[in-house]
Amino acid sequence: MSEQDYKVLPRDVEQGEFHQAIEKFRALLGDDNVLVEEAQLKPYNKIMMPSEDAEHAPSAAVTATTVEQVQGVVKICNEHKVPVWTVSTGRNFGYGSTAPHHRGQIILDLKKMNKIIHVDAELGTALVEPGVTYQQLYDYIQENNLPLMLSFSAPSAIAGPLGNTMDRGVGYTPYGEHFLMQCGMELVLANGEVYRTGMGGVEGDNAWQVFKWGYGPTLDGMFTQANYGICTKLGFWLMHKPPVIKPFEIQFEEETDIAEIVEFIRPLRINQVIPNSVVIAGVLWEASTAGVRRSDYTSEPGATPDAILKQIQKDKHLGAWNVYCALYGTPEQVEVNWNIVTGALKQLGKGKIITEEEAGGTEPFTYRAKLMSGVPNLREFGLYNWRGGGGSMWFAPVSQARGSECDKQYALAKEILNKHGLDYVGEFIVGWRDMHHVIDVLYDRTNPEETKRADACFNELLDEFEKRGYAVYRVNTRFMDRVAQSYGPVKRRLEHTLKKALDPNNILAPGKSGIDLDKFNDW
Amino acid sequence: MSVIRSKARSLAIAALVLPSALVAFSASASGDGQWKGGEHVYQKVCGHCHDTNGDIGPVLAGRGLPPAYITAIVRQGFRAMPAFPASFIDDASLQQVGEYIQQLPAPAKE
Repeated sequence: MSEQDYKVLPRDVEQGEFHQAIEKFRALLGDDNVLVEEAQLKPYNKIMMPSEDAEHAPSAAVTATTVEQVQGVVKICNEHKVPVWTVSTGRNFGYGSTAPHHRGQIILDLKKMNKIIHVDAELGTALVEPGVTYQQLYDYIQENNLPLMLSFSAPSAIAGPLGNTMDRGVGYTPYGEHFLMQCGMELVLANGEVYRTGMGGVEGDNAWQVFKWGYGPTLDGMFTQANYGICTKLGFWLMHKPPVIKPFEIQFEEETDIAEIVEFIRPLRINQVIPNSVVIAGVLWEASTAGVRRSDYTSEPGATPDAILKQIQKDKHLGAWNVYCALYGTPEQVEVNWNIVTGALKQLGKGKIITEEEAGGTEPFTYRAKLMSGVPNLREFGLYNWRGGGGSMWFAPVSQARGSECDKQYALAKEILNKHGLDYVGEFIVGWRDMHHVIDVLYDRTNPEETKRADACFNELLDEFEKRGYAVYRVNTRFMDRVAQSYGPVKRRLEHTLKKALDPNNILAPGKSGIDLDKFNDW
Repeated sequence: MSVIRSKARSLAIAALVLPSALVAFSASASGDGQWKGGEHVYQKVCGHCHDTNGDIGPVLAGRGLPPAYITAIVRQGFRAMPAFPASFIDDASLQQVGEYIQQLPAPAKE
């Protein structure tokens, strides 16, 4: 390819300059690992957001297989001021997928770095590279008969622990708050140095994966959802697989039951009677993962009427809210906690409990049980069939684990979604004291008018939730700057002060979480 | 592949018995992160959506779909179907999974 042929260029980088950078990448990585042809770049430009594809088109993609190569890439990027958007497995669906934050950034794809460096069955720890998927790690654990259990997000089979944890994703087991279970990172900094958090800097140390804090400032959190370094190794904790895992579901008939459900669950969660990240799934989440499509019930455009939701609930034997929990431990421990749960439910006086035996291998119970016991699957992609057309954005406000709060958030979200002709497809993931209220803003991306509505809807969700003191924990690349505003100017100034100090050329993932030295001017 | 520390002894809690004396192991069937042919890729990736009786992804088996078509869809994605770059499924493995899908018999009617 001659230097005049690059169709997409990074911001403020000329053809000749970019060509020099590409030639250096080729010398460092080999021709096969430097992708500039349109067909090669296509997979990196597949998005689910209501932006034009062109807004998120990369100028090139490079694949590295060693830390030294990552250092080399960073060096070249600095020399030519080429910004780089790093992906691990690139499966960040609903948050931007694999595509760069904005047009022209090159992709640094670390999927080929997929070594499981070590797994310690006694201590329940692992150290992995960016390209390791949960499926690969699961297979490794199975094949070597290790008594360990994974925790992952729903795209488990193709997503990986490093990327998910660095974006502070959550799962459905007792270890479901993934960043809490992180223990030791290795990062390539923008100046090319390799930094290890926690105990990792001590020569000969063997406590890197067991003691988080190390000495002096503990900086791990600073590198998550951020652009201060490229994570090349991640340590984390795994549960020992218990003798018994007892998944169960509690169905509630009315959408107005949500407040009572949360009040019922909270003490059981906080006191670890139910130790896992519980899910309270709405009817449409439940229906779509069971294989129901909107077109099975109506061809009318717009929000789906409540009468239809009720009909689906009745036809498919679902709850308006469907609570998924599991108990873990010895048979005796599980029995004690089961009695506490069923006793508490009796006191509540509503809710129908369904055990694994009663569910009898049906969906969505089966995939929920897999998520709660660490068996990879992709069943949750059924969500995308509700409307079809490949549009999906996660709107994920955080809330207190308090009934009245959930009630308010649910009502507000549904009202705004319906106003824009879309549906509430959501679930609450119950942490210890918090909830991740995750709503999939599903729309037909092949329909320009609906795409426009989805965009307006997402903006309004952010605005109206913010007015009431709610903010999201994570968002897709189109809205990162907007969400950064919600968290106030002091935080943004501090983040950009760090960026200036650590990455003065602004080459690492500019735009991530709204951190971009070229755009920020609120000093 | 670095050495794996995995010698497991029983925990103090008698009920939580771990398998004893796991020795260090070499590269294994899937845990080594290498594709081992079309069927392997299908099982570990495609099948998760496409072996669901059409609930999640459409059934591919028994349609004689040409590998070139499979390759195009995998590389570009299609609506909700994610795109997979060559770093995830290399060209040769993608061709193999295409050939594997092409010859799969139609699933038996339930």
